Amino acid sequence: MTTVTETPIAVPVVAHRPWWRGKIVQSGAIVAGMWIAYRGWGGDHPWPNGLVWNQLTFKLDDFQAWLIEKRLTGGGGLVFSIFDGFRIMCDHLVAWFFDALTWLTWLGTAVAGTLLAWRFGGLRAGGWALGAFAAFAVTGLWLESTETLALMLTAVGLSLVIGVPLGIAAGRSRRFGRWLTPFLDAAQIVPAFAYLMPVVLFFSIGYAAAVVATMIYAIPPCIRITALGIRRVPVNTVEAAASMGATRRQMLGKVQLPLSRRMLLLGLNQTILFALSMVVIAGLIGGGGLGAVVNSGLFSNPALAILAGAVIVVMAMALDRITESVAERTDPARRHLDAPAKRRLRLQSLGVAGVITATVVVAKLLGVSGDFPDYSGVRQRAVTAQEWLLGQIQTVLDYVQDPTSFVFQITEPVGNFILTELLLPLQGFLVEAPWFTTLGGLTLLALVVSGLRPAVTTLLMLGLIGFLGVWALAMDTLSQVLVATLIAVLIGIGLGVWAAESRTVSRALRPVNDVLQTLPQLVYIIPFIYLMPVSIVPGIVAGVLYAFPVVSRLVERGIKDVAPDAVEAAGAFGATRRQVLVKVKVPLAGDAIMLGVNQGIIMVLAVVVIGGLVGSGGLGYEVAQGLVRGQFGQGVIASVAILALGITLDRVTQGSRSKRKESME
Amino acid sequence: MSAPAATSTTAASRERDGEPLIRATGVWKIFGPKAATIIGTPDAELPRTELRAKTGCVAAVRDVSFEVWPGEVFVVMGLSGSGKSTLVRTLIRLIEPTAGTISIAGDEVTGASPAALRDLRRHKVSMVFQHFGLLAHRRVLDNVAFGLEIQGVGKAERHARAREILGLVGLEDVESSFPDQLSGGMQQRVGVARAFAGDPVVMLYDEPFSALDPLIRRDMQDEVIRLQAETGKTMVFITHDLPEALRLGDRIAIMRDGAIVQIGTPEDLVGSPADEYVENFTRDVPRSHVLTLRWIMREPEPGEPVDGPRLDVGTTVRNAVPVIAESSRPVCATSGDEVVGIVDRDAVLRAIAGEGG
Repeated sequence: MTTVTETPIAVPVVAHRPWWRGKIVQSGAIVAGMWIAYRGWGGDHPWPNGLVWNQLTFKLDDFQAWLIEKRLTGGGGLVFSIFDGFRIMCDHLVAWFFDALTWLTWLGTAVAGTLLAWRFGGLRAGGWALGAFAAFAVTGLWLESTETLALMLTAVGLSLVIGVPLGIAAGRSRRFGRWLTPFLDAAQIVPAFAYLMPVVLFFSIGYAAAVVATMIYAIPPCIRITALGIRRVPVNTVEAAASMGATRRQMLGKVQLPLSRRMLLLGLNQTILFALSMVVIAGLIGGGGLGAVVNSGLFSNPALAILAGAVIVVMAMALDRITESVAERTDPARRHLDAPAKRRLRLQSLGVAGVITATVVVAKLLGVSGDFPDYSGVRQRAVTAQEWLLGQIQTVLDYVQDPTSFVFQITEPVGNFILTELLLPLQGFLVEAPWFTTLGGLTLLALVVSGLRPAVTTLLMLGLIGFLGVWALAMDTLSQVLVATLIAVLIGIGLGVWAAESRTVSRALRPVNDVLQTLPQLVYIIPFIYLMPVSIVPGIVAGVLYAFPVVSRLVERGIKDVAPDAVEAAGAFGATRRQVLVKVKVPLAGDAIMLGVNQGIIMVLAVVVIGGLVGSGGLGYEVAQGLVRGQFGQGVIASVAILALGITLDRVTQGSRSKRKESME
Repeated sequence: MSAPAATSTTAASRERDGEPLIRATGVWKIFGPKAATIIGTPDAELPRTELRAKTGCVAAVRDVSFEVWPGEVFVVMGLSGSGKSTLVRTLIRLIEPTAGTISIAGDEVTGASPAALRDLRRHKVSMVFQHFGLLAHRRVLDNVAFGLEIQGVGKAERHARAREILGLVGLEDVESSFPDQLSGGMQQRVGVARAFAGDPVVMLYDEPFSALDPLIRRDMQDEVIRLQAETGKTMVFITHDLPEALRLGDRIAIMRDGAIVQIGTPEDLVGSPADEYVENFTRDVPRSHVLTLRWIMREPEPGEPVDGPRLDVGTTVRNAVPVIAESSRPVCATSGDEVVGIVDRDAVLRAIAGEGG
């Protein structure tokens, strides 16, 4: 519509306030009050037992026992049959994909994967595929990689089956899209670690649980991007088709899908990456494959865990680059094929199919097996470099853990500084301060920073945490999150501002950011377990690494997006570069920076709780124990508390932003 | 000049065959919550900004009625935000009108079932869009054939028809190109060809040339005039460009804030604007290019000889100038064989100078 809907843009005017009403001053006063209370009554007032629902753990354990009994006896009716049916289907699908990939033999799989990537994604994509298969082979983790691939195929496939239709519906119907959005938003703030326990409850440990956990994580981005793709199809084109009398189905098949194809494939790309980043965590609940190797190796064989982590990284990067180039190259709106080009492509397809078939047939005839170091053959171990790689990794591990080494001289003090100067004081403060001043103080902070509704949410959520009996644990986790977020935001803003000002830095940072964002969450932690062997620190460092690229990217974009005329105008008044940055760009990019804090804090939380696996304490540790030891009730309670914490942190950091948005409408 | 009398003679006395092809009566479009309840209440009369402040609704089209006759080029013109694009979309319910009735070629549009509406869009009406709305993933040929494809016409047949139309608009050479390989003007030619391919009765143009460079725009206007002359299609043409409206339009409707201020022929608008708004619009139009002798002639005085050169009463002043310059006698304006008035040099000079009216 070219009509009338232009709304006057309200300028966000900041009303003049007396100094004592400034946000910073008020927040400072609140924290000071909490501090005084901590000094006065520190440790005297833990969360009172009377306000805890002690029975809950047992009730939950009973519930689980009841569920297991129902499952074993086959009773329980329709709901159980559905869950069980789904579980069995997932198990079968994973097993089927695994069998199919091994049936093709390692040679056939590698050739098929490489050629298909080349055919649809071009030479570079083919190269990435070949490299990934080489990595699976060289590390001697072929079978594990195949299992992970089978898990991925199942999880991604099912995610697409659910996500794409929902995304299309959300893209076509504005009402449905609006209805779906809060769910998608909510899914984004739930740390993956928090829903492992409930998933295990309904699907028990195994492939199915791993698939479901992965799907929960991967479906929301799939829906989001699909809907976005459909909505991005030019309005005029849709209108034109409608004006010619296209049916809804013709509109979808002939206009909307082809024109959004690139976005849809990028949605596939994101779905795969999200799914892969769950693989390691899914290894905890029976996903098998590389994830299982990482998890079992964490303590018993660190070099192997690192090696498997590296293979996952290679797999993630390869799948990312391949799907991305397929999306770019097959976009029908940009690639204009004439008749000879079409014929050439058809010939290529035929050739690829022929070569794959021939390879498989030959491999079958030669008796090549599905695993790469082919033990039926004569030259067994010579072909993998696993031993050698493990040796190298171990050497590095020994070096960084040697107190006399150079690296240790850096990592040790850094780790200790974070621990003694930041973490322990904050942890002590949050855990030991009287519960009521902490609860009240945090609520007031939410009120000052974000407004009434976030404050009410904070009060309710923190109250819930206390009621569940995990107040001290949650405060422990909160302290870790705050420290990690602080570091991540400082690094992120610093790098973001720098990158916005300097092209060189921007260009240098981009690949680093890309790699860091492609990595699965747990993979971040692994190196730091050995690099900074101070219980809590690895989780925090990993959280920082996971979150700062996003913060820096948002800040960079925010600053670059600042209206060029404002910058030009400031320059015309003779402002120095520094003045332009400090007085124009940064203030105008304030919203982007706030968004960075919001995203960063949620990402940090997701990683920090995973740190529980490696002994960083807090709520994550409870979940890990619940998973490893089968302490169900305890795990579920901690999961709920993590969720409550996530909601609180999200609302508090988001509040001021949405408030401003409302006033601008 | 005797303007009011002239209005009735020019607009109403034109000969028309049968029924109007498009008839819109009392059409409203209000965007916003509970839009339908506003119509008929005093709120509906409020100016836009007040309505918006009070109800949160925006009245894009307010109580619009008009008729378009077969073979006519009906131009709707107004500034951006006047509701003209919304109006043209309500005609085939790309935007659902809030109230009012619309009929095209005898079919009721408002209230038509989805199937009937589709049928109408497929066979009777087609539309050309401002930003072309071409399918980026299809060749020009398949873009032009798209409407037929939707109707289920076979490939060979629809390609043959599309080639024929491409020949008509001079695009034979680019049938295998993709839209983004063509210039804006060429793309819009494809858009026009696509609209023609279904052989519609009515063609709707929504600011089709606003996105084009002025020279190309002129070419395209010529093209539309040519096609219209060759095919005799009825057209509804939306524009914000007054010269374009005057060039193309048999009749022009001027819209402001969602309502039609005046409907009339170009000379009606220039000669007797309904209000100050229209007058401001048309102030800079060279009057001699638009006004005809009808507007400047006077009654023959009793006994005055009518022996000067004869010109049809519909001749524009500009075109009458050479004749009058040559002749020493005042020109006689004729309708058929009958002399209806006298035009002397004085009147012509005054019209060129922009006086009177």
